[in-house]
Amino acid sequence: MSRNTRILMSVIYWAFVVYLFVPLVLMVTMGFKDSKFIGFPIRGWTLDWYSEIFRSAEVLGAFGYTMAIALSTTFLSLVIGTWIAAFLGPHKFRGKLLVFALACMPAVIPGIISAISLRIYIQFLQIDTGMAAIILGHTIHNVPFVALVVMARLATLPKSHIEAARDLGADQLVAFSRVTLPYLKPALIGAGVFCMLLSFDDFVRSFFLGSYQPTLPVLIFAKLRSGMSPEINAISTVVLVITAILGIWAERSMRRMNKGTSV
Amino acid sequence: MSHDAQTIVHIENMTKRFGNVAAVDGLDLKIRAGEFVTFLGPSGCGKTTTLRVLGGFEIPTEGRIILDGADVTRLPPNRRNVNMVFQDYALFPHMTVGQNIAFGLELKGKTKAEIDARTRELLEFLQLGGFRDRTPDQLSGGQRQRVALARALAPDPKLLLLDEPLGALDAKLRGQVQVELKDIQKRTGKTFVFVTHDQEEALTMSDRIIVMNGGKVEQDGTPEDLYFRPQSRFVAEFIGETNLISGTVRGMENGSVLINWNGVDIHGAAHGHRPTEGSKVTASLRLENVLCHPQKPANSNAIEGRVVNRLFKGSRTSVDIRVGDTGEGALLKAYLDPGDASRIRDDRLWVNWDVSHLSILQA
Ligand SMILES: Nc1ncnc2c1ncn2[C@@H]1O[C@H](COP(=O)(O)OP(=O)(O)OP(=O)(O)O)[C@@H](O)[C@H]1O
Ligand SMILES: [Mg+2]
Repeated sequence: MSRNTRILMSVIYWAFVVYLFVPLVLMVTMGFKDSKFIGFPIRGWTLDWYSEIFRSAEVLGAFGYTMAIALSTTFLSLVIGTWIAAFLGPHKFRGKLLVFALACMPAVIPGIISAISLRIYIQFLQIDTGMAAIILGHTIHNVPFVALVVMARLATLPKSHIEAARDLGADQLVAFSRVTLPYLKPALIGAGVFCMLLSFDDFVRSFFLGSYQPTLPVLIFAKLRSGMSPEINAISTVVLVITAILGIWAERSMRRMNKGTSV
Repeated sequence: MSHDAQTIVHIENMTKRFGNVAAVDGLDLKIRAGEFVTFLGPSGCGKTTTLRVLGGFEIPTEGRIILDGADVTRLPPNRRNVNMVFQDYALFPHMTVGQNIAFGLELKGKTKAEIDARTRELLEFLQLGGFRDRTPDQLSGGQRQRVALARALAPDPKLLLLDEPLGALDAKLRGQVQVELKDIQKRTGKTFVFVTHDQEEALTMSDRIIVMNGGKVEQDGTPEDLYFRPQSRFVAEFIGETNLISGTVRGMENGSVLINWNGVDIHGAAHGHRPTEGSKVTASLRLENVLCHPQKPANSNAIEGRVVNRLFKGSRTSVDIRVGDTGEGALLKAYLDPGDASRIRDDRLWVNWDVSHLSILQA
């Protein structure tokens, strides 16, 4: 590579970094602005917006609600996704590909379409809008990701490990829980965090399937309509920090575990 | 069914088919308690399948497996008292060495104290003392192999199955582990059923070798039997290097068989069969059983020949000898010791052998 191309490459690289991070930096900065309006110039700084959101029953309620939905969704998605992966992985049967394609479809259907169809579907099932409906919608959306990640991991589990467990006296269930599950742990952590983020972040499905109690994204949307205020930036910053911590933790623990299992 | 105390497992007329392919075809044999038995054969001959049937991982298409007097043919692996050392060791990566060894004991419902004592005993027995708290990825190949062995021995199985457990080790370590493994088998007195396609390994370690070919038993005997008294051409060729001698039977002479081999008269042992005069036979003569002399030895039926090819191989020299004075003649391979190599001239030498070493093979 010539000197000029190298310089050009690093300019492009940094331009891209700036392009990615400026919006985030702006958002975080505005959350500390001592004024009701978002925008420059900034004349004073304050932490009021943060103390306000931590005292606001509305924000805290939405946060708790969203968290509860995300946790339930993650749990359900992991159980169902792992079950599908474990069932589809080793067994050979007619129409396996079809079942697999059907199971994966919710992941690629546009959010708005799946939201509308789910809304119709819950009416048909006579499930009220609200938490259960949102959890149902999120789970259907997340299961394919879990199944794919778990299946990829499962494919690398040597058959002899299960056989060794059986050989040493484990029945199928014990072999699954004591050998297969620990082997899947990094995949489950990764998929679980991904489910949390997908669910926490989801707007369209939560909007269509929710009732009076808004999830955090829906609340932010509602607040936006009454004008942009730094309060929104403060909420978003908190969400950003939590998400980043979760992501980094998942990445590190997956890396650590993958290292240990590559025997 | 007769069951004598010595027999630990009886494979009764066992056939295992995968689709149309018979991986094992009518295998019938008894394994005695405390034996080191090796299944030896080329790739695809059904060794692994036989072992997997014994372990409970495959259910035979026909036949039965009688383990210590009880029919276990259809019992799953977790319900039979047999353990296996896998080719890739299959150590549980998320467990320490100690936990791996304890796994089978826990599932047998042993108490914590019993498990601890047994684990400690095995770690010591297999010289793994300092490795209890390591995970498998922190061990060398040889150490992993020993952990796999310890784990399989822990529940005190009636039968220990080993499927090419040395395949993953490098040549040098392999030789060392062969000796160790044989020693462990002797010290535990356990019945080992070993699988390999390496004839040298089989000869070194086994009390008894079962040579398989195409799902069937080719020969069943001690290493010496197989090496010096092969019954078929397949066994003779598969184990070690040999001279295959094809000729016509001329008759019996002093209990040995007289064979015309490309115009040369030679003597051989029938080892049980009775070849008829005039029939064509093939016999096997090991290279190291061909004795070479610079002069014609007194009162022996040594035959004359000349060296057509000499290959120096360090501790010995390998030679190709053309015997008989007809133009075509017959070719014999032999080894010369360093002392003989210098004394023996290429243009003229005599060869003979102990009659019992020239074994006539079944057609
Ligand atoms: N699960 C299976 N499905 C179909 N065919 C099989 C299966 N397992 C083994 N076979 C076939 O049965 C035959 C014997 O296989 P086996 O694994 O017992 O051979 P092996 O003697 O252990 O060979 P190797 O030395 O290569 O391990 C082979 O032809 C193989 O293709
Ligand atoms: Mg095999």
